[in-house]
Amino acid sequence: MPAFVRVFLLLLISHVRQWPLRTLLTIVGVALGVSASVAVRSANVDVLRSFEQTVMTVAGPTTLEVSGGETGLDEQVMTRVRTIAGVTTASPVILQTAVRMRGEQAYQAVQVVGLDLLAESNTRGFRLDQPAKESQLLSMIQPETVFLGAKLAAEWNLSVDDQVDLLIGPRRLTCRMAGVLQSESDRPSSWERMAVMDIAAAQITFGMVGKVDRIDIVTDEKKTVEEVAQDLRTVLPPYLTVERPVNRTRQVEQMVRAFRLNLTVLSWVGLLVGMFLIYNTMAFAVAQRRREIGIYRAIGMTQSRVMVLFLIEGGVFGFLGGITGSVAGVALAQELVALLSRTISDLYVPVGAGEGGLRWAGQFWSIMLEGIVIGCVVSMIGAVGPSLDASRTATVRALAPGDYEASRQLRVGMLGVMGLGLLLVTGLLSLPGPIGGVPVFGYVATLSLLAGLACLAPICVTGWRGRRRYVGGEFGVHGVMRGIAVEHASRSPGRNGVTVSALMVGLAIMIGVLVMVRSFRHTVDLWVTDTVMADLVVAPSMWLRGTEVGSVGRSLPPTWSNVLASIPDVAAVDSYRDVRVSVKGQQVTVVSRDLRLHAQWSRYLVRRGDSSEQLRRAADIHGLLVSEILANRLDVEEGSTLEILTPSGPARFPIVAVFYDYSTDGGKLLMDRALYQSLWHDDLVSVFPVYLRAGSSLDRVRARIMEQLGGEAGGGLPPLVISNSELRQEILDIFDRTFLLTYVLEAIAVLIAMLGIVNTLVTSVLERRREFATLRAIGGSEKQIRQLVLWEAAYLGVVGIALGLIGGGLLSLLLIRVINKQSFGWTIQMILPIGALIQAVVLAVIATLVAGYFPARWAARQPIVEGLREE
Amino acid sequence: MVTLRQLSKTYSRGEATVTALRDVSLEIKVGEFCAFVGPSGCGKSTLLNLVAGLDLPTAGEIVLDGRSTKNLTSYEWTKIRRETIGIVFQAFHLVHGLTAEENIALPLMLRGENRREIAKRVEDMLDRVGMSHRRGHRPAELSGGEQQRIAIARALAHGPRLLLADEPTGNIDSHQGAGIMALIRELATSGGQTVLLVTHSVQASQSADYVWTMRDGQLISRTERSTELVTP
Repeated sequence: MPAFVRVFLLLLISHVRQWPLRTLLTIVGVALGVSASVAVRSANVDVLRSFEQTVMTVAGPTTLEVSGGETGLDEQVMTRVRTIAGVTTASPVILQTAVRMRGEQAYQAVQVVGLDLLAESNTRGFRLDQPAKESQLLSMIQPETVFLGAKLAAEWNLSVDDQVDLLIGPRRLTCRMAGVLQSESDRPSSWERMAVMDIAAAQITFGMVGKVDRIDIVTDEKKTVEEVAQDLRTVLPPYLTVERPVNRTRQVEQMVRAFRLNLTVLSWVGLLVGMFLIYNTMAFAVAQRRREIGIYRAIGMTQSRVMVLFLIEGGVFGFLGGITGSVAGVALAQELVALLSRTISDLYVPVGAGEGGLRWAGQFWSIMLEGIVIGCVVSMIGAVGPSLDASRTATVRALAPGDYEASRQLRVGMLGVMGLGLLLVTGLLSLPGPIGGVPVFGYVATLSLLAGLACLAPICVTGWRGRRRYVGGEFGVHGVMRGIAVEHASRSPGRNGVTVSALMVGLAIMIGVLVMVRSFRHTVDLWVTDTVMADLVVAPSMWLRGTEVGSVGRSLPPTWSNVLASIPDVAAVDSYRDVRVSVKGQQVTVVSRDLRLHAQWSRYLVRRGDSSEQLRRAADIHGLLVSEILANRLDVEEGSTLEILTPSGPARFPIVAVFYDYSTDGGKLLMDRALYQSLWHDDLVSVFPVYLRAGSSLDRVRARIMEQLGGEAGGGLPPLVISNSELRQEILDIFDRTFLLTYVLEAIAVLIAMLGIVNTLVTSVLERRREFATLRAIGGSEKQIRQLVLWEAAYLGVVGIALGLIGGGLLSLLLIRVINKQSFGWTIQMILPIGALIQAVVLAVIATLVAGYFPARWAARQPIVEGLREE
Repeated sequence: MVTLRQLSKTYSRGEATVTALRDVSLEIKVGEFCAFVGPSGCGKSTLLNLVAGLDLPTAGEIVLDGRSTKNLTSYEWTKIRRETIGIVFQAFHLVHGLTAEENIALPLMLRGENRREIAKRVEDMLDRVGMSHRRGHRPAELSGGEQQRIAIARALAHGPRLLLADEPTGNIDSHQGAGIMALIRELATSGGQTVLLVTHSVQASQSADYVWTMRDGQLISRTERSTELVTP
């Protein structure tokens, strides 16, 4: 072993032995930061990989897909596709979702793939195991027959010929399990968790006779895939998309990019706070070992070696924190995957929760490696400052008697000026727009803001030190204790500045995100109140499960409109239809409804003009209302026109108004239902908003609706009839679920900041053992020593919390006006949630005192004689 | 004032056991000024720490003012130090962040005295140690001798009946040392305090009424001021 490594190990072990608690706290802090980062990254990757794997598994050998969006396409298109040179096979696909029922309860959603089983059972990567006694042909094509993936069948405890209760669209069907889908290879496959039907059976079952969701094409090698795609585009209607299967994954990735990016950035906060912790620990180690460093230098160690020594020590802490954090991160990721996939399914597209355990087993070592690298890099960055300081130790002064640290003055004034400069830079950075849709300057402004406040922390720590005359004053013993505590805390602006900064960062982000989330929630609440005015909404039974239930599960028959209108006390019934289409490469929700009726009964929050007027105008001139987000993305405004590829061909629409909308970050187009039907030939309805006559009983009408429509539901679950207030609550519940993860990540950052306080106080107690012992010797009680340490914790807490409040306020402005606006395009009305802010501050105060309590208790219990002996 | 009965103290350091005090018995009467001398490690500071309740004996008993200190709780010892004992240390042990007068006031404040009484006592003590002109200075701004004067004032501010001085001249030059010893003697005599002085300075020990010589944790001999040798 090289001599330097031996020296390093010797010194490291002696340091760890001397300060085991500090070492442990530091490693735990790094581990927490790493775990949050690893967990979010792994969960993000897993959720999308799960989606990608499903897409690619179902695609099999498919090289091109022809799709008609959510409304599907006519199966006759296949005939035209097959005429194109280079197309070897063209197969119809239906991709829908069914929900398994257990009694009257919806149990679990499963993806159902309709395929031409006779032609394709051996081409998609699965095998069908069936008993030999049954005619294979017949069993495949019979309606109400499904083949279940092997794992799904095992989980549901079903075997061949068992009955399974499925909710498909509005209908409830009892299907027969005709066989088991086995993966063709030995590796796990997405087929094992899916259901397959023959295409004809699927068309009947899902009410899509004559239609398919997609045509999968296998091309030959004579022409390139792109050439075939080009030929197809020339012969097919323009609203149909022709693309490679992998593009769907890319589209989804693009769709959720901003959401994932923001989550990832938030997960780095823990690492940032962890960096402060490492800085603190290493700065303390350098101060404690200053004389030792002097000795190394005196006996021939070079400056660079001293620096490397401390850098590696930081790296070792990072390494250990990285290992621990990765293991914790994998465990945390398992929980996050479910939460994240639910949120993405709520907001964007249905994605499965993945197979967690299996994938983790395969990826464990790469996650571990990633965690270790993150831990080491973050720790070594945190250790750079103290390591440089160590290497620059003046040997003579370090070896001379007296306090080396006391002879060094931190330039708090200069740091303060630098801090103010950084705040100015923050303001300037918040002005430019995004780069490629990413608020790069916004993120840099956030860092600049936190760095600026961190630079101001030392001057704030010292700035409060005022001379007071305790003798003859009104302070009493508590006043003196307070005074000693403040005096001591302000004597180390460097170290305490770092601790205060760590708390400030944790709290600023907590408050910034809190204000942003509450403001956002408030805005959404206002928006719901102002725009959702229907007294009741009649929706498919699984409507609240979002995109998870597939397009058929999210539509209702148009005839229900008349049924609803005939119910006494119903004043008006609107037919609301939303489908996702691609407009200029963007996934957009096209909403159609009776605009005149809506103008009379409800409204949209239009950017300019009057809602009713604009809605009527749009109906009259066949115009569109465009959501604010989409208007920004497509760079259109009131008065301009927009071309859309519809099933009836390309059409150009005038934009009548731009409206605020918070239901999706993909953007929304609103048009009159008659116009939509004439272009899309789709008469289905997503939901029926129902308006009641004044003074009518909501519950009575609801009961009548259930009674009338129960019979229409075809034996399936009755439709969901939800009141205005219930709908609002549901929307806010989805909102809260979306931000649940945010709170978890914030809590981790604050926890690390608390460890920073414990760390600092333990250091402070260690350094002041003699002072405490003196106080005990001259009559101070254990309780009084405890109070002294707690006062110091409180002082650091107050400075950190004050800076955190300022930082949080400024950060919330950045989040609302810059980062959120540039990432998602939403205009959020900022509010100050006073109650929540008080809660956050009280929480921080309690956490600070809890963090101070253990060092305080420990300080009070130290042996007096040993303390007096301390040099 | 102080009675020690069969007092022993052993320390365990790793596998080794060190006996700092071995079966020490003695009695110090009210108002006496007693010095303990001996080489480093002979147990004299340990003796003082045990009497102050800063450390607990392994065996034996300490009787202070007629009251046995056996089985006293930490808080009861704190009360004894607040009321009965004043301590002067070799390294002064002043609180850095406080001024001279605040350091003197500290034990009074810890006792919960009212502010008028504190101000009066501090004024008196500053006057008696000749440091009134330095009242607003912090320890770092004072010389070693000045710091020790403040430490003595602090030790006596609450009027203890027992003053324990552990090498009070150890960190200052001999000229200042003589002044400090004279001050302790003068203040103790005028206040009627019993003094236990630990020192290895022959000059310092000459202020005492008698001197106990210690070696290997035991009392070896007692020398009266008149230099008469007494065996314990």
